[in-house]
Amino acid sequence: MAKDPVCQMDVDPKSAAAQSKHQGQTYYFCAVGCKVKFDADPARYLGR
Amino acid sequence: MSPKTSDAPRLDLPVKGMHCAACVDKVERALRSVPGVTAAAVNLATERARVELGPEPAALDQLRDAVAAAGYAIPEEIAVTPESREREQADRAREIARLRVKLVVGALLAVPVLLGSMAEVFPWAPGWLRDARVLWLLTTPVQFWVGGQFHAAFLRELRHRTTSMNTLVSIGTNAAYFFSVAVVLWPHRFMAAGAMPYFEASALLMTFLVLGRWLEARARGGTSEAIRRLVALQPRAARLAEPGGERDVPIGEIVPGDLLRVRPGERIAVDGLVVEGASTVDESMLTGESLPVERGPGAQVVGGSINRTGTFTFRATRVGRDTVLARIVRLVEEAQGSKAPIQRLADRVASVFVPVVLGIAALTFAAWMLWGPAPAFFHALTNAVGVLVIACPCALGLATPTAVMVATGRGAELGVLIRSAEVLETLHRTHTVVLDKTGTLTMGRPVVTDVVPAAGTETDPVLALAAAVEQGSEHPLGEAIVTAAKSRGLALPPVREFRAVPGQGVEALVEQGRVLLGNQRLMDGRGIEPGALAKEARRLAEAGRSVVYVAVAGEALGLIAVADVLRPEALAVVAALRAMGVDVIMLSGDAQSTAVAIARQAGIDRVHAEVLPDEKATEIKRLQADGRLVAMVGDGINDAPALAQADVGLAMSSGTDVAIEAADVTLMRDDLRGVIAAIDLSRRTMRIVKENLGWAFGYNLVLVPVAAGMLYPIWGVQLSPILAGMAMALSSVSVVTNSLRLGRFRPSAGGTER
Repeated sequence: MAKDPVCQMDVDPKSAAAQSKHQGQTYYFCAVGCKVKFDADPARYLGR
Repeated sequence: MSPKTSDAPRLDLPVKGMHCAACVDKVERALRSVPGVTAAAVNLATERARVELGPEPAALDQLRDAVAAAGYAIPEEIAVTPESREREQADRAREIARLRVKLVVGALLAVPVLLGSMAEVFPWAPGWLRDARVLWLLTTPVQFWVGGQFHAAFLRELRHRTTSMNTLVSIGTNAAYFFSVAVVLWPHRFMAAGAMPYFEASALLMTFLVLGRWLEARARGGTSEAIRRLVALQPRAARLAEPGGERDVPIGEIVPGDLLRVRPGERIAVDGLVVEGASTVDESMLTGESLPVERGPGAQVVGGSINRTGTFTFRATRVGRDTVLARIVRLVEEAQGSKAPIQRLADRVASVFVPVVLGIAALTFAAWMLWGPAPAFFHALTNAVGVLVIACPCALGLATPTAVMVATGRGAELGVLIRSAEVLETLHRTHTVVLDKTGTLTMGRPVVTDVVPAAGTETDPVLALAAAVEQGSEHPLGEAIVTAAKSRGLALPPVREFRAVPGQGVEALVEQGRVLLGNQRLMDGRGIEPGALAKEARRLAEAGRSVVYVAVAGEALGLIAVADVLRPEALAVVAALRAMGVDVIMLSGDAQSTAVAIARQAGIDRVHAEVLPDEKATEIKRLQADGRLVAMVGDGINDAPALAQADVGLAMSSGTDVAIEAADVTLMRDDLRGVIAAIDLSRRTMRIVKENLGWAFGYNLVLVPVAAGMLYPIWGVQLSPILAGMAMALSSVSVVTNSLRLGRFRPSAGGTER
């Protein structure tokens, strides 16, 4: 299980609605909306 | 397409008593003079008037009175029902039989009259036959019984102060007859002046005129043969399938929803959907398609087609007036009753014709009295009678309607439904054909052309996954993928959570994970990297194909290219249109590259691509602004505005589920060759019309002066009234016969093969 960095939901990578590569790491999202937010400002969600 | 958009209430009325183009004009004037009538068009060949009514419509009785005042009649019963059609046919048959009896009697009496009158030509004729009193006796029944209808009509018209060809015939023959009677009664006064009786003029003339009427009546019956054949397609009964068994019911009792059973060799009664069983069905009489088509559960069947091989049950969907067959009959009837603009000229000429001819006859009489050789009165009378007789404009009145009737009827047999005579006339002048790409030049449904797997995969899983997701899809692209997978016998894995992503594609879950099926945007939006597939996708897109990516569990799996392929006949049709001198232009909403690729395959070099559906009409308008008459061929559904904007809109129907009321020309068969058949038919029809009009006009222009004796001072040539009568009858017959040639019309090379 992966964690959606935007909404913190658990997501199965195989059936994730969307994914994004950032600095060599693949992130999985529960929905396209989360991906869009993430892509706009990845640092905000990976920041801490 | 203006006529069909009219919402004005319209009446279609039978009119009795019309025999020539002059009558047409008179009835039209009478109808238009009634307040509340905005337009009226009368067709001589169908004997019907079409009346358009304004906001305060005229009552039927007013119309009836107006027509009666002009000397014609609108019968009590005006609706066209199967019964009235039968009655009309019976009436026509009776009329033909009556004319035949008159013709035979006329001929039996006229021949001895001729023998006896022309003793110098027939020296072997018995002496008693040369007695003028015998000739009088023989001629009288011909003049008044055989020719009675002409005199009756003349008197009727006299009361209404109108004139027609009956006026000419009646005055002419009576002049000849009574002059001869006078000679017989007072031989000393007349014969001394050199006058001889000439009963043969009256007797033969009447016989020829009745011959003309008889041939005309028979020909009129023949021109609506196509309608009769169409109507005869509908069986009178059908077999209703009920829980308890089967029962024969009259066709009128069938309602939508009824289950009907059809055995091999039987005609299908109404339109419906096959519920159970399968068969091959011959729809040739409706679509012109000569090969029987397969019909299984869920398929549509059409009333009037013949079940060939199997037994099946179908649920009636459309009955009575709503069936495809009924709509075709209605459309063809309306087309046959419509008036080509070119005919209006003939009608106008004919309306002034009779008074002019009466004038010419009077002048002829006067001129021969003054300057003619002795016996002046005899010559004057003979020539005046000749003028009266030869000048009947009936050929003029029949020239266009008969051709239009035969052509629209023949068109229906070929699966080409033509809305009106005006459409035929416009189409024949059209030299620009705009073809919509999708569904017209192409099959209208995409097929899978390429499957490209990503490195390390096979084509089959790509197709299988895509098809699994698209299984429930009604999108044509999805259907193409499912069809392709099925044709390869692939097993489709079960899917859950199917969802369409508008403008991008679809997604669903399978056991392996999430499947994404869609365009580049979908892949981008989900963060899937197409890798090497992107290059393939570009290559396929440039070749005019639509490309969908297939991704599963976050990985691009492959891509599938689909394309709407060209119809097999498209290339030949475009070439044939070119050969006919037609500019072919393709209209498409697709990207330039896709559109050009298809156009090149079809051999079309003028392409208007990236035209949105609602811009198609504008595009047509632009072509028209160049002074072109534009015919547009489309599917009639999403290009309806463009079809309406075009001077002639041709809708190609897929199969039998058609909106035949929507276009100027409906091609019943899903085949582009119908376009050629339509254009070819229109051109031949108009050629025949022009021949007919030329013949009818030319005949009068040439023969009236001859009959008046204008050639006499030069060559001593005179036209006897008998020859005049014969020529008159033959001119009508030749016009009708010429039109009937269209009944054997076959489209030229490239057209439909039947």
